[in-house]
Amino acid sequence: MKDLILRNRYTLLVVTLIVYMGVLVTEGMITGREVRVIEFENPYFDFNSTNFEGFRERRNYNENETENIRIESYDTGDV
Amino acid sequence: MDKFASLQFYALLKREVLEHRNIFIGAPVVVALLLFVAATWVATQISQSDLAEGLRFVSALFDGLSPFDMAPFIMLLAIPFYLTLYVCSVIYLINTLYQDRKEMSVLFWQSMPVSNLQTVLSKIVAIVLVAPIFYVLVIFVMYLIAMVWLTILGISNDVDLVGIGYLFLAAIASLVLIYISTVVTGLWLLPSVGWLLLFSAFAKKTPLLWAGGVFILVGFLEDLIFGTQFLANWVASRTSNPDQYLIFEFQSVFERVFNYDTLFGIIVGSILIAGAVFMRRFTD
Repeated sequence: MKDLILRNRYTLLVVTLIVYMGVLVTEGMITGREVRVIEFENPYFDFNSTNFEGFRERRNYNENETENIRIESYDTGDV
Repeated sequence: MDKFASLQFYALLKREVLEHRNIFIGAPVVVALLLFVAATWVATQISQSDLAEGLRFVSALFDGLSPFDMAPFIMLLAIPFYLTLYVCSVIYLINTLYQDRKEMSVLFWQSMPVSNLQTVLSKIVAIVLVAPIFYVLVIFVMYLIAMVWLTILGISNDVDLVGIGYLFLAAIASLVLIYISTVVTGLWLLPSVGWLLLFSAFAKKTPLLWAGGVFILVGFLEDLIFGTQFLANWVASRTSNPDQYLIFEFQSVFERVFNYDTLFGIIVGSILIAGAVFMRRFTD
């Protein structure tokens, strides 16, 4: 086992990273470490890093709204 | 640790300081000189009477206040030094073991009666415990010069100097807080220290690129294999809030050092440091 780990620099690096990630993932699962939320909120733009789906839906909704307004303005017949 | 081992370790630390004088001494001296030039320029733009008035205000402000309560405000003056030490530490850690292999001095040091563990530990102690001493000494000299200048200004303008004495005491107390903060930051960021040392010992070329590239790759692999983001969460939870490692009062030192997050960070950092120690076997 020791010979395998210390065979060359690459095996040693991979083993070190596996142990490192193993400890991190195990600790993360046990303690339930959560994503640090990045949140911006102002009158023009809302962003929450945990809610990308909501962000996408809201953007689609806004785009549809803009499209509807454009169609309505065409319908008025103004030049 | 017996006397011989202590002497060995002292010699290793001395070697680090001598080989990296620019990082340990040169960088803070340059920052202090830049601040001195900036302060002199500002002072020349203000009239003598306004300076005296300002000094009178500061003297009255600090008169009778506890130096320990006012020390955190003085700490703000050390922010340029803090940032410089941070950048210099990254440069030092990513290059130190790589440079040893590049110039083949690793063979000389491995022929000496010092182990790889002692060598790597000496590098960590040098940057976490010794480098801040030099930075604090440079800041102390800067404060001393500033105090002499303020005292001369005060005497020549007939200003009551008692408050300036309190200001000096607060500055001295802030030096202790700055040193403790930098050491606690070193312990808090020990996983980063270990990561940089590991790739410094590993890479044949461009260690910084390896350290950054593998970090991103491991993050992607974790997401791909486990469907989790614990690495990203872990890094975000340790770097996003300087409040976690900056010390603004002496009472909080114990709880900052002996808490779960710091101790777990030391354990995780030790894994990477152990990897760096073993990696030093490969000298090519």
